[in-house]
Amino acid sequence: MKKLLIAINFVFAIMVTAFSQGKAVTGVVTAAEDGTALPGVTVVEKGTQNATFTDLDGNYSIQVTKEEATLLFSFIGYTPKNVSVAGKGTVNVSLEMDVAGLEEVIVVGYGNQKRSKISGAVGTIDTKEITSLPVLRTEQALQGRAAGVQVTQNSGQPGSTQSIRIRGTGSLNNAEPLYVIDGIPSAGIDYLNPSDIASISILKDAASAAIYGARGGNGVVLITTKTGSKNQKPQITYESYYGMQEPWKYMALLNAEEYGILMNESRSAAGLLPLESLANPSALGEGEDWQDEIFQRAPMMNHSFSFTSGTESSSTAVGGSYFVQDGIVGGEKGRFERYTFRINTRQDAGDKFRMGQNINFTHLDRSALAENNEFNSVVGRALNMDPTTDARNPDGSYAYSTMIDSDIANPANQIALNNDFWTTNRFVGSVFGEYDILSNLKFRSTMSVDLSLGSHRVFSPSYDLGIGPNDPERPAYEWREVNGLMLGENKWSNWQWENTVTYDKELSNGDDVQVVAGYSALSNLSTSFYGFRDSLASNDLQYAYLNNSLNAQEQAPSASGGTTASAFVGQFVRLNYGLGDAWSLSGTVRRDGSSRFGVNNRYGIFPSLSAAWNMTELPWVAEKDWIDFLKFRASWGQNGNADGIGNFDYTSLVYNGLNYTFGSEQVQANGAGPVNTSNPDLKWETVEQTNVGIDADLYDGKLNIVADYFVKNTNDMLAVVPLPGVVGFLPSATNVASAKNSGVEFAVNHRNQVGEVSYSIGGNIAFIRNEVTDLGEGGQPVATGSVFGIGDLVAYTEIGQPIAYFYGYETAGIFQTDEEAAAYGTEIDGEFVRALPNAQAGDVIFVDQDGDGDVDSDDKVMIGNPHPDFTYGINMEASYKNFDFTLFLQGSQGNDLLNGAFRYDLNTTNLPIAALERWTGEGTSDLYPRISHSDPNQNNRISDRFVEDGSYMRIKNVQLGYTLPDNVMQRLKIGKCRVYVAANNLFTFTQYSGLDPEVGTRGTLEIGIDRGFYPSARTFIAGINVNF
Amino acid sequence: MNQKTTLIIGFLAVALVACKQEFLEVQPLVGSTEANFFQNADDAESATIACYNNLQQEVTNIQGSAQLAPHFRWYFGDICSDDSHKGGSGDGDEPELFLFENFSGNSSSKLVLAEWQVAYRGIAYCNLALDRIPGIEMDQQDKDRFLAEASFIRAYWYFNLVTMFGDVPLILSNLAPSEYQQGRTASSEVWAQIEADLTFARQNLPRRSELSISETGRATWGAASALLAKAHAFQEEWQPCNDICLDVMTSGEYFLDPDYANIFTESGENGPGSIWEIQYMNASGGNWGNQLEGTFTNVFQRARGQFGGYGFNIPEQNFVEEFENGDPRLSATVFQEGDQMGDRGVFSLEATGMPHLYYSKKFFINASDEAPFGDPNPNGYSNDRVIRYADVILFHAESAYHLGDEGLARNSVNIIRSRARGGNQALLASLGTDVTGPDLLDAIYHERRVELGMEGHRFFDLVRTGRAATELADWGFVAGIHEVFPIPEVERTLSGGLITQNNGY
Repeated sequence: MKKLLIAINFVFAIMVTAFSQGKAVTGVVTAAEDGTALPGVTVVEKGTQNATFTDLDGNYSIQVTKEEATLLFSFIGYTPKNVSVAGKGTVNVSLEMDVAGLEEVIVVGYGNQKRSKISGAVGTIDTKEITSLPVLRTEQALQGRAAGVQVTQNSGQPGSTQSIRIRGTGSLNNAEPLYVIDGIPSAGIDYLNPSDIASISILKDAASAAIYGARGGNGVVLITTKTGSKNQKPQITYESYYGMQEPWKYMALLNAEEYGILMNESRSAAGLLPLESLANPSALGEGEDWQDEIFQRAPMMNHSFSFTSGTESSSTAVGGSYFVQDGIVGGEKGRFERYTFRINTRQDAGDKFRMGQNINFTHLDRSALAENNEFNSVVGRALNMDPTTDARNPDGSYAYSTMIDSDIANPANQIALNNDFWTTNRFVGSVFGEYDILSNLKFRSTMSVDLSLGSHRVFSPSYDLGIGPNDPERPAYEWREVNGLMLGENKWSNWQWENTVTYDKELSNGDDVQVVAGYSALSNLSTSFYGFRDSLASNDLQYAYLNNSLNAQEQAPSASGGTTASAFVGQFVRLNYGLGDAWSLSGTVRRDGSSRFGVNNRYGIFPSLSAAWNMTELPWVAEKDWIDFLKFRASWGQNGNADGIGNFDYTSLVYNGLNYTFGSEQVQANGAGPVNTSNPDLKWETVEQTNVGIDADLYDGKLNIVADYFVKNTNDMLAVVPLPGVVGFLPSATNVASAKNSGVEFAVNHRNQVGEVSYSIGGNIAFIRNEVTDLGEGGQPVATGSVFGIGDLVAYTEIGQPIAYFYGYETAGIFQTDEEAAAYGTEIDGEFVRALPNAQAGDVIFVDQDGDGDVDSDDKVMIGNPHPDFTYGINMEASYKNFDFTLFLQGSQGNDLLNGAFRYDLNTTNLPIAALERWTGEGTSDLYPRISHSDPNQNNRISDRFVEDGSYMRIKNVQLGYTLPDNVMQRLKIGKCRVYVAANNLFTFTQYSGLDPEVGTRGTLEIGIDRGFYPSARTFIAGINVNF
Repeated sequence: MNQKTTLIIGFLAVALVACKQEFLEVQPLVGSTEANFFQNADDAESATIACYNNLQQEVTNIQGSAQLAPHFRWYFGDICSDDSHKGGSGDGDEPELFLFENFSGNSSSKLVLAEWQVAYRGIAYCNLALDRIPGIEMDQQDKDRFLAEASFIRAYWYFNLVTMFGDVPLILSNLAPSEYQQGRTASSEVWAQIEADLTFARQNLPRRSELSISETGRATWGAASALLAKAHAFQEEWQPCNDICLDVMTSGEYFLDPDYANIFTESGENGPGSIWEIQYMNASGGNWGNQLEGTFTNVFQRARGQFGGYGFNIPEQNFVEEFENGDPRLSATVFQEGDQMGDRGVFSLEATGMPHLYYSKKFFINASDEAPFGDPNPNGYSNDRVIRYADVILFHAESAYHLGDEGLARNSVNIIRSRARGGNQALLASLGTDVTGPDLLDAIYHERRVELGMEGHRFFDLVRTGRAATELADWGFVAGIHEVFPIPEVERTLSGGLITQNNGY
């Protein structure tokens, strides 16, 4: 009997084995939360290359090679599941949604990592958040979304740049992060259509940015663009919005009557008679509102479409957009237009080889108005222009001011005459090929190019606002005798070739290893050309071409052009080792060399280490069922900052132009010689950062917390240290300075569902302190930030203080009587010395800090700090049935601004309404001095009078959307349609008196100085998103 | 991993690392580097012209800062003497100059710092030329000429340094970083170097008559000789001084312009008596912070108020009284009330808005001659007549006197007086044989003062002849201290203390 049983079993076994050679297993994959079918789920027979995908109804069919096969089901956003076939013919699977996003794969440099395993500090931004906020520039979408990332705009003008600081300002030269788009380092991301973006990762700490070596010191912003997925039915989406922008605030200025009263008072205080035109101030009335004259409502519009599809072996994503935005100053004259087109494709060639191409073309057109300076910016002029002058004469021509004889000219005329056009055509493309040497060893080679062709055209027509050359009162800035045309062309290109080898293995003991090793070479070339001619035959922009110049004498044409280039190479290796599920360790080493570094320091090595401890399975954590996930991580690393170094700063360039004049004909002869000393030791700035952080998911994914503490030291910062005069040549920058940034970041997210309403609230906050720790031996503090109206440099960088803080005199009220002014001083050598010898009643009391009997530059102290105490962002989303609501606000607290918009150096410009509070007699004011044309006490010198609190909170985006119901959609054969209304910058809460508290930077060492800042607009938008 | 994998990885690793190292060698294509400049004769000429470039610096950025400091030759030569006082808009205008004028200036002053930095910058370019030009393959005569020009200019800078500061670091080649900190060298050695440089220059510079018209302004045999004569005079080496002055006087190269007043007009630039003149022109578009080919002296010395100048260098009463009755040179040197200031109007106290009775005239230019474009203030055209033929003749007189030959001395003085009287025999009687001994010396000193007045000579003349303590006592001059200016404190610090300070500062 036993023998029979064995024989029967044996036969069965053979039958089963024979049967399972190519046995078909089928089934349905559904989502656990609602039972709906999941298409596109990957079904793989573990340990083989045998894979398939579920179809639109969630069905799949796979031929397994053995009966005991295990099938792995995986799909984005869901926890993967392994199911043993165990001889069954049908295996149905239900996948759990990955609520906590632990399985979410995050893009880090040269690869991806699961969120649960990341050991560095990486911030991610949901693309939904990017596209929900109608923005022009991608950087605007980053504002307030990630803890520790501070985005400030440098102007509200369409097309203008933003500055981004990741974890504080870490350099005196260049503090902008490195942008890497689809693996290509780019100079800027203004060419991207925000709708094309698939993911944004921000690498904040040294360990995550270390793989970018000498360029990762200021943090890295990694952007990947959308690609299609395999086996995807064609999907077309169309997005469009239309918005109307308007200025959200006018500054309160004097009207004509108040201006007249103050001017008369000012003149008489200086011993001058009042002007005839201002003899009767009350008759002047309101006068001209110059802000009203330049500000207007301006539209903006965006159309964007995308098409994705995929077959079994390829995928395609195509996208295009058109965006146009007019300026609230100047309307058309401030217009920005952008066309983009993108095509990303992927192909499989056989099992082992894959290729892909990303191609992007962008065309930008920008009409630019002068901005952010106190002498010829439109906003600056509008604030300073006197209200007694009308914008136009009765005959309709533009008027000039008889009060002001200087660079404050009629801004309305300036807008009309402005012809400053920038055009850029940019092509960014890459091609890659990836080959599987073994199943877990891949080789990838990528070739990419970033080519930018820009041209700049400035036509300055001739004009005369006066009655001709015989008009004696016509100010110098209200006429131009000869027209002129300047044309510039520049070409900028980046070529990069990268090769990486990736090894990925799951060890038998449950540990896993990933190794990435690679080599990268980057070459950059830039050429430029400018030509200028004057006296064009026509004063019309249409005919503005250089060949139309009538200047036969060739007296003033000029041409210049040059070229510069640089190169980088890098070799890197990163090892990620996961010890079971609890520990993940990571180490990176990168060796970078650059043509910018001096011969003695061509290459640098940048190491980093990080570790993450997943404490979720620990007994004392696991027993608390309200903790879903808890991870502690720490990292240390060194990166470099090479982008603030010029291409040839290490050598001493011989310049032409050291001229002298010879001969009775006074002919200039060209002299040539070096200007700076050379520095063969020139190298990158080294950023060393230590970071500890915690990630926690609590209450079933309802609450998510990320907290980080970091200390970032930048050493070898470039600074110019003075050399002894006997050297003769000017000093070049040497790596001698240091700065430190340290802080804490928190990000909290809560989501929940109450009945039919689902909502989420999230916020982030970062406290960052900035300090300069060294300026080199003999290094002098650096004074920057010249403000005309105040006539001094207002920013100062020195050891022990934050970078570029505000530096000036401290005030202590107003002298109420002449006796008080005369009694202000100290005893020096037995004699009483007046500290402010020219002061009288009504003048400002400047503090004599060192008590030396003289208020001079030794008495300047810190009067303000432009760096915020903390920055924050809060995001709220809610949805109810087919409605969705979003509210996003962002703010900065504790930063000071310097209001330098008013030209106190010119006595006759307009003033803010606060000037009415001036001192007119004893006891009338303790804050504002008397007004006087002569100002012998220099009341308007740089002091805390001009520093204001720039803290603000802005409701950046409010949005209400409605998704049309499914039944309507099905009838129209459209997949999904959502309409929405939104407002940008709806409210701004601030105490700052100027036009906008979000005053950015002008160079790294000028932060928060308002010189007539072009404000951001409040915009009302209506839009529609359609998926076909 | 199996063998095949190892092989592949190995191959890749090698391939990646072996990539070209020259990839990182990127050459600048705009402008040469110091390494590949100095290849041919054109480079040599450009490098030499760069040496001249620094001569024009009057208002300069203090190294490494945006601070501008004027440091004119006449600030020290005229204002610090009894010829003139500061002026400006008031005591608060150029306060450091006010202190120096009253001999209470100190080492933190930007004036002396700028002067120091510009001088050594000029010397650095000369050293570079002297170092690299010999290695170029080119015509020997041209090469020697360029080297001679660089030597002359270097000597000129050291002359300025040693007369201003006394002992100064003697730098004769460009410094390597390890050599940046230098100490002072005794002034006697500096003078010796000046003489050596000028001797070499004399041997290899062309005569002025040999220059083509387009080369006017370049260093000549006459310029090097005159400066050498002055160098000897400052060291009271009267025999060599006399010999060289005689060389210049008998060379036939130079003549006194018969019309004294013409010397300081536009047509008088590079005139017959011009030995060494720093060239300026008004059409280069220079501006504050980037002084190109123009001079600031015109606007600085012009009266304020309707005349649009800054009103510096106000002639003193005692200077005006130094002139003998009817001396025509007074009206060529000083504006007095009621005088017509070119095409800018009549000089009156109301028109200037200031109480000064006199203004300097030698650097006055008309409004119609101002720069054709740009800001006229940094773009004046007046050349700086550093050494005039009259200066050489007077040194001849002075040296002859000290050598005991009073006859020769009187002759030379009379040549000057003869030109000055301009044909009117009633004026400026010639010195007769009755003027001898100390009276003759005084006459020579007097002639220097009125002939070369307001040209930046007076202070240095007083110091070198030992008269400063008596003549400038009222202003606070203390013998043993104020013969030289303080070494800038910044430079002392940067030298690591190797540079010591002058006595009394």
